Amino acid sequence: MSSRRSSQSGVSRISDDQIIELVSKLRQLLPEIRNRRSDKVSASKVLQETCNYIRNLHKEVDDLSERLSQLLSTIDADSAEAAIIRSLIM
Amino acid sequence: MPPPSSLKQEFLKKWMMGLHICSSSKKNMSILERKKAIKLSADIALASARNGTTCWSQAIIVNASQDDQDKILVQHVLGRESERLMKKGSVLPLTSNKRIRSRKILRRSCGSIRRRARKTIATSPPKVVAISIAKKLIRKRTQLLKRLVPGGKFIMDEISLIEETLDYIISLQAQVDVMRSLANAS
Repeated sequence: MSSRRSSQSGVSRISDDQIIELVSKLRQLLPEIRNRRSDKVSASKVLQETCNYIRNLHKEVDDLSERLSQLLSTIDADSAEAAIIRSLIM
Repeated sequence: MPPPSSLKQEFLKKWMMGLHICSSSKKNMSILERKKAIKLSADIALASARNGTTCWSQAIIVNASQDDQDKILVQHVLGRESERLMKKGSVLPLTSNKRIRSRKILRRSCGSIRRRARKTIATSPPKVVAISIAKKLIRKRTQLLKRLVPGGKFIMDEISLIEETLDYIISLQAQVDVMRSLANAS
């Protein structure tokens, strides 16, 4: 069936197996799908979860930057570096 | 697979370097300015950990270099590699203007193709319809993914896009882990 699909699309010579392998690797990275443990997840669902996950990660980086900025501003500017180093050692 | 600790360490080192440069060049930043500095340093640190081997890291570096102030930070964090990496052509495949023009023509003609496709969908068996809908969904989501991954618009084939996404997600996870543990520690 996969050979029929690739002969139909014609333009894309990309091997279906390669895509399947990459998609399964993506699946392992995504926290939700990994927990569900089903082999029947479709490629489009994986892509959708990937987009949502990347968006969430971006938002988290943004929130963490905000939080760190507030934390650092409450520490004296000169000792900010010292505080960072101290917290790293702990 | 959790992000490797070597990646986290590399990121942390570069990030601290960037933060130090930012805070030494500008005392008394507002909270918003500081947040932007933190985020920028983090992104540049993440990109430099890949050292120009991936498209997304290259795109971050090139985008940051567009701004005069950010460029200085990029140069400091990347060190010797900065000149090579800031050049747009080194890793990013160039989208020639011809391609963009042909894509516009394609999009214009797509209207008529879509009308024809709708006719065939109405008359084909449900299984074929399901497959074509699935293909459309995948195409739509791939476009979305291209917008989310930095430099995604320069990636032409699906396989490279997915590989870039894989690497980008692992790096983002490392970034979030390190930032979170720092935020929780202080």
